[in-house]
Amino acid sequence: MKQLAKILKFEFKNYLQNKIFVGVTVFLVVVIAVAMFIPRAINVFENDVPSIPEPPITDGEQGEGDGDGDVSDLKKDFPKMLIKYGSAEAAEAVRETFSAYFGAYNVILTDDSLDGIKEKIVSGEAECAFVMDGLTSYTYYVNNLSMYDMNTSVANEALRNFYQMSAMMEGGLTAEQASAILAGQIITSQTESLGKDQMQNFFYTYIMIFALYMVILLYGQMVATNVATEKSSRAMELLITSANPVSMMFGKVLASCLAGLTQLIAVFGSAIIFYKLNERYMDDGGIMSSIFNMPVELVVYMLIFFVLGFLIYAFMFGAIGSTASKLEDINTSCMPVILLFVAGFMVVMIGMSTGEVDTAMMKVCSYVPFTSPMAMFTRIAMSTVPIYEIVISVALLIGSVIGVGVLAAKIYRVGVLMYGTPPKLGAILKGIFKG
Amino acid sequence: MKLELRNIEKSFGEKQVLKGITLEAEGGKAFGLLGRNGAGKTTTIRILMNVFGSDGGEILFDGAPIDYRSVQFGYLPEERGLYPKKKIIDQLTYFAELKGMETAEAVKSIDYWLARLEMTEYRNKRLDTLSKGNQQKIQLITALAHDPQIIILDEPFSGLDPVNAMLLKDVVKEEIGRGKIVLFSSHQMSYIEEFCDSIAILNQGKVAIAGELNEIKRNYPRNRLVVRSQQKEQIMKELGAVCKDMESDAFMITLSSPEDKSNVIKRLAESYDIDEVKVFEPSLGDIFVEHAGENI
Repeated sequence: MKQLAKILKFEFKNYLQNKIFVGVTVFLVVVIAVAMFIPRAINVFENDVPSIPEPPITDGEQGEGDGDGDVSDLKKDFPKMLIKYGSAEAAEAVRETFSAYFGAYNVILTDDSLDGIKEKIVSGEAECAFVMDGLTSYTYYVNNLSMYDMNTSVANEALRNFYQMSAMMEGGLTAEQASAILAGQIITSQTESLGKDQMQNFFYTYIMIFALYMVILLYGQMVATNVATEKSSRAMELLITSANPVSMMFGKVLASCLAGLTQLIAVFGSAIIFYKLNERYMDDGGIMSSIFNMPVELVVYMLIFFVLGFLIYAFMFGAIGSTASKLEDINTSCMPVILLFVAGFMVVMIGMSTGEVDTAMMKVCSYVPFTSPMAMFTRIAMSTVPIYEIVISVALLIGSVIGVGVLAAKIYRVGVLMYGTPPKLGAILKGIFKG
Repeated sequence: MKLELRNIEKSFGEKQVLKGITLEAEGGKAFGLLGRNGAGKTTTIRILMNVFGSDGGEILFDGAPIDYRSVQFGYLPEERGLYPKKKIIDQLTYFAELKGMETAEAVKSIDYWLARLEMTEYRNKRLDTLSKGNQQKIQLITALAHDPQIIILDEPFSGLDPVNAMLLKDVVKEEIGRGKIVLFSSHQMSYIEEFCDSIAILNQGKVAIAGELNEIKRNYPRNRLVVRSQQKEQIMKELGAVCKDMESDAFMITLSSPEDKSNVIKRLAESYDIDEVKVFEPSLGDIFVEHAGENI
């Protein structure tokens, strides 16, 4: 136990003395500080600036137009949306409707030929165009169709509305009556989630899973490299005759876990402090506050799963490091563990992004020790999981961490003395069971 | 203090590396463990230090099975290596602490050894700023700082200049003088002959020969004479096949039995101009070649 403490202290000190470790941590804290102070800076800037340049704008050339604040005039710097409509008298009404629906566009009627319209879009003069055959049929032209382009569904809505209005007016209603009917159907609703609010929890679950992913891969590889370096520098010859391999393995892995936690606490801790300092300047629709007002209970789960998940992978990486004779072998040797981890990560990410975190796959993953840190945490955060399921999952994970740790220490003892080509799995297993 | 290895056996996979090794080393004496590469020296040392267990046999310390909690080892491995990027005092303290020393006690002992090996000026330097010889002296401190009962030195003199070799010799002699058990493993026979009272030569996992070095030498049949004479050519021609040429004006005569010694010496002295006649005693190198060189 005393030896374990000495190894832990030495290895942890190594991390703290590592310039890259310290540098990356400081860099992250600075980036977060800058990001958190930006809204405040913008706020200060906005409050100061308008009082000086405002008069020249009102007095200057801007006033030359019709001066009555015409909407199309205000929108003249917005991206252009072209509308080509067959009948001239309805065209202006359609344009007005579109203009109302597409607030971020300067909607313009055009008589150009189809080729002319296409040319304008390709050249960038206009962003998109609706070429209509009537109120029920159109072709939408755009240069590059974005993944998030919602224009056609907005157009459908606008056209449907316009069509209904026209139909009602033809039926004898006045424009006011028709729009009153259409506008009268206002629905008020409230949603109350009896379990978890996925929308609110999504962001911090996402951040936690990502932090876990990055920290495990980074630190895991660091443990593997650390062991392999000791082996290749032959410091191992002395270490293995000075210390118990179980203490060596646990000392190294616990030190890296502690270093990882220190870094996370430094980064997230400073993020929280900077957030609190700038909280009243944040205007982001509540995303930030949903992240920083994470329930304490979830923070505890996060720590439990983080530490256990970290340990189980760090042990595997340590064992792998001990079997590599050269540092160059590390990447290849780590591949199976990385693939296992990435597979678990993908399952969880897919579950998270579809919002279906209680699928059979996710349930299985939340018990398998190699995936449960991510899967179970995601389920706890985004769904309602009975406490016994959490207990079983954590118990399985703790048992596996101890098992994998002891096995890793045995592999370490056999692996570190094997030089030359990386040993085959069979040879390592034989070595372990022979003692 | 007495260390005994009895019938140690070890196999790696199908290959039996140690086939019943029996050795005995005493405190206040140095023991030479010899053998060609792959003879089983390192495996024997690792089993002795409990890096892994043996398949059979036992290790006794003062007559009782060795207790690794109370018996301390100091080890200078043949493959040298510490942490190149770490400060010397930090890593030496770490290794001493791993051996169970308290920090203050460890630092005190390390400072003593740094001074003894004339290395104090490098105390706060990084290891990779030192020359190879100096790095080796630092590594030697990891074997001595915790004041172990048993010191195992694997090729301790390789890479040292004559001045440092002399310093190391003095240190080793001091440790032997303090009653420690010192185990030497080296291919440099002259050092083994200088230090070791007892030796064991391993060959293919077995002890080919072991015991007091002087006794081993004495037990060689004393039927060979080394003769030095200006008339070497003439004598060799007249005596024929029993003679074997040696360097400069010396040659060797092998007698059919040691009892003929006096007669032959007398005859030679009467018939020829003889500068020197002595009974041939094999050097450790000769013994090594004879016992370790075969069957490999």
